[in-house]
Amino acid sequence: MPTTITEPAADVVILGVGYMSGVIAAELTLPGLTYKVVAITKGPYWDYVNDFSTTKYDEWGVGLGRKYDSPLPLQSATIRNTPQQFALPVRRYTMPIQYHALGHGVGGAAQHYGGTMGRQGPWGYTQKSSTVTRYGQSFLDSVNPHSDLEDWPLTYAQYEPYYVEWEKAHGLCGDYNGSATNQPSDTGYPWMSQNYPLPPSPLTPVGQLFQTATQALGYHPFPHVSALASQPYINQYGVPVNPCVFDGYCGGPCDYACETGAKANAAYRTIPAAMKSSNFTLVLNSFIFRLDTDPASGLVTAARYYDPQGNVHIQPGKVFFNGMWGYNMIRIMLLSGVGAPYIWNSVPASVSGAVGRGLTNGYLPYKGTNVSGTLPSNGGNAYPAGNGSGGSVDIYDLMDDNFDHTNLNFIGGTEVGAGGYPGGGPGNITFAGSVSSASMGGTFKATQKDKYLPTKTTLSSTPFAHDLPTTDNYIDLDPHYTDIYGDPLARLTYDWTPNTYNGAIYLVNKVKDIFTKMGAQNVTIGSPVPPGGSTHNDWWGHHLRGGCRIGQDPNTSVWNKWNQCWSPVLNPVFNIFGAGEITNTSGDNVPSGTHVAGPQSYRAAEGIKQYLALATPGILP
Amino acid sequence: MVDQTRREFLKLGLAAAASAVTASAIEIPLFGNQNSSMQTQLNNANTQLANLKTRVNTVVGFVSLSITEQSLLEKIVETIIPTDTDPGAKEAGVIYFIDRALAGDYGQSANMFMDGPFVPPAQTGPITVGTQTYSAGSPKVRVGAGTNYQYPLNLREFWRVGLIALQAYANSAYGGNFETLSSANQLLLLQDLWGNKPTSFGKILPSDFAYEFTFMTWAGFLMDPIYGGNQNMVGWTYTGFNGVNFGNFYGEGKDQKTLMVATTPTRLKPASLAQYQQQASGSS
Ligand SMILES: Cc1cc2nc3c(=O)[nH]c(=O)nc-3n(C[C@H](O)[C@H](O)[C@H](O)COP(=O)(O)OP(=O)(O)OC[C@H]3O[C@@H](n4cnc5c(N)ncnc54)[C@H](O)[C@@H]3O)c2cc1C
Ligand code: SF4
Repeated sequence: MPTTITEPAADVVILGVGYMSGVIAAELTLPGLTYKVVAITKGPYWDYVNDFSTTKYDEWGVGLGRKYDSPLPLQSATIRNTPQQFALPVRRYTMPIQYHALGHGVGGAAQHYGGTMGRQGPWGYTQKSSTVTRYGQSFLDSVNPHSDLEDWPLTYAQYEPYYVEWEKAHGLCGDYNGSATNQPSDTGYPWMSQNYPLPPSPLTPVGQLFQTATQALGYHPFPHVSALASQPYINQYGVPVNPCVFDGYCGGPCDYACETGAKANAAYRTIPAAMKSSNFTLVLNSFIFRLDTDPASGLVTAARYYDPQGNVHIQPGKVFFNGMWGYNMIRIMLLSGVGAPYIWNSVPASVSGAVGRGLTNGYLPYKGTNVSGTLPSNGGNAYPAGNGSGGSVDIYDLMDDNFDHTNLNFIGGTEVGAGGYPGGGPGNITFAGSVSSASMGGTFKATQKDKYLPTKTTLSSTPFAHDLPTTDNYIDLDPHYTDIYGDPLARLTYDWTPNTYNGAIYLVNKVKDIFTKMGAQNVTIGSPVPPGGSTHNDWWGHHLRGGCRIGQDPNTSVWNKWNQCWSPVLNPVFNIFGAGEITNTSGDNVPSGTHVAGPQSYRAAEGIKQYLALATPGILP
Repeated sequence: MVDQTRREFLKLGLAAAASAVTASAIEIPLFGNQNSSMQTQLNNANTQLANLKTRVNTVVGFVSLSITEQSLLEKIVETIIPTDTDPGAKEAGVIYFIDRALAGDYGQSANMFMDGPFVPPAQTGPITVGTQTYSAGSPKVRVGAGTNYQYPLNLREFWRVGLIALQAYANSAYGGNFETLSSANQLLLLQDLWGNKPTSFGKILPSDFAYEFTFMTWAGFLMDPIYGGNQNMVGWTYTGFNGVNFGNFYGEGKDQKTLMVATTPTRLKPASLAQYQQQASGSS
């Protein structure tokens, strides 16, 4: 007979134990601090040697079966393109693209990510005001109809120290970020007060070719930033890190668990630090389903969760940190009535609320925007070797406002790079999952012979400008489907926005020039599919952004400059903080939303400490 | 060899049922000596089994597919990946991979979200679901996407319905069971399904079933042998894939750090997950 159990009250209750939550846990349990911290997550605490080292080399089980991932019968999500449509539930994990392999257990989604990183430059934080100042309001209105773009509450310079802390904690590998001078006065590139703590992994010959070619074209190349430790390392919490062994079953669409702990995530960087403190309690295999609120103050009083036996636990606390990521972070707020839910209206001026608002997709290539070419002299192995985010070289020159957009019909741009290791894991399950009517018979079979042993390198890039928030893309609760416990699923309403498409049309030619300079032959550009009526895009989940934004205005954002909840205006729920890729206002086309979200977890940790020190609880100054 | 062994299993397990099967369904005599006693047959099978031990991770025999499904699916997978001078779906034992998958969690849709309502994708007009009306219908979805499968059937049932409908279409459009058609017509028929040519198809969209069997055939050719297909790693050998040979599994003296920056490809004899685990645990 399931019962209800009230747990001893904590100072800080952490909801979900992934990347962001790990920082909160480590920072609030540092020696000398006395906060009682309780962190609750669904799923187990993975042990990389025991759980992964003999069973991870398994495309069927990991790639398609998602054996280390969140089970779909527990909880799914529904998806539609427009508010007038019925939303279809995600019923199965499929290939080539995983809809929402959101992670399960300590370490969250980053247990199986590619570890690709990269700071967001100064423009990303002020892109609304910068665009309006430089090109005018009507320009922004025309590139992004129904625009819901907002600036961040702080500038890049203000976030910079938090970037440094976060990079140190996770042992990021790289060598600056393309800044020619690395001065704070640089406006385009993210200047850095300190270099990355670890050097990049060795560059591939193709990466070096890209470096030479882009330099010759006047661009500023730098090694791709990666969170897969290139060397042994000890972080500021004294947690030792093993180096990558380059087994190659790492990134790519399947995203493999790491058998050495070299792949940075909370389980092997920050939670081990918190575990040293007797003030820290980790609650595993528990599904959080509600936040209790005090009707008078609106404040959160407790989190409720189910243990594996179905008992309900009530965990009271003074302050809460929402680290559940993705639509889970939004869904728990909507289910609990915390913050003002976003209410869509076809007239942008008539929308209201902030929770679920401003959904964007951080990685969303348009169909057909691909550029490809062949390097005749470089072959190599296409089977797994290396890791998921090393070996390549990038430029930021075609990103942000690093080039003049006058007379163009989009803002922002793309990071371009080449030369990554074949470390995306085997391509067998992704290939099988992308079959068509052409994938049958002897003639087709012949195209597969020795495909892992190419004698030429195929260069390929899918540039597109970033996805901008509009009032028509959002998350709410689905009226038809529920999770296993009977609570409504998150419903995602999302369609491609024109900025990504228009940017792609322009950027493909720039990339073509780079590939040609590298000596590639037969450089061809695909024919992009125009927006509207296109087949529903597949890139959900991995890199959803927005929907629970940080901002300057409580009407359009959930979190303030301390990542503290200030929505709704009249009765702000100021004792819940949050961070995650989801809080980005911009969906800037830095491939790594995690790298942009990470520093906010340091910011939130500081905010929580300040909040607990307030004589009268309230909004932080 | 694989083939023959499979049929021996078939006979042993299903001797009583075999008489009910048409000749075209099991087209090779089960044993050369039709008069041999059950005991002799068992002895033969045991010899075959002993031979199998020289092969890695090869398990043949059925746990889920029915007799009619076995013979039909065998021809489907062999049409998709035919045997030529190199091994195809037959030698890889693709049919066993599919059989195992359908018998287990995959067939039971154990990791799928299977709650209703079930609304097909790509509905254009207004639709009413429960008390709500949606003027723009439902989203158009890529075949094979996670939101595309909207049937109130687990995957085992989906395959059952699909195979029956395919056989019915073979008879109505091509005048005979799929197994009896020329290989050119077999390929044409499978392409018809991709193109949604059949007008009635057991209440499922033919292209959804076509995606499913093409996907599973290639998966059976290329997944680790631990799942029953890719026997003797013939699929990996064909595509030049290394499995878990990271450069020195058989003492080749290469390593990942060299291979990941190489400009010429190195062919490595593949190694399987089971081999890897045996090596890791020190046994062989
Ligand atoms: C396949 C894939 C590839 C990716 N590749 C990259 C990449 O290369 N580079 C990059 O920067 N980012 C990448 N990402 C994104 C990156 O993993 C996330 O941005 C990051 O993990 C988010 O951190 P987080 O702390 O917000 O959430 P997570 O780390 O995901 O943690 C959330 C935690 O909350 C728990 N949780 C959720 N709901 C509940 C509930 N109801 N009850 C209890 N616990 C709950 C989860 O189990 C999890 O432990 C990738 C993501 C995926 C899925
Ligand atoms: S390649 Fe490196 S980072 Fe990736 S899973 Fe293997 S050891 Fe971990």
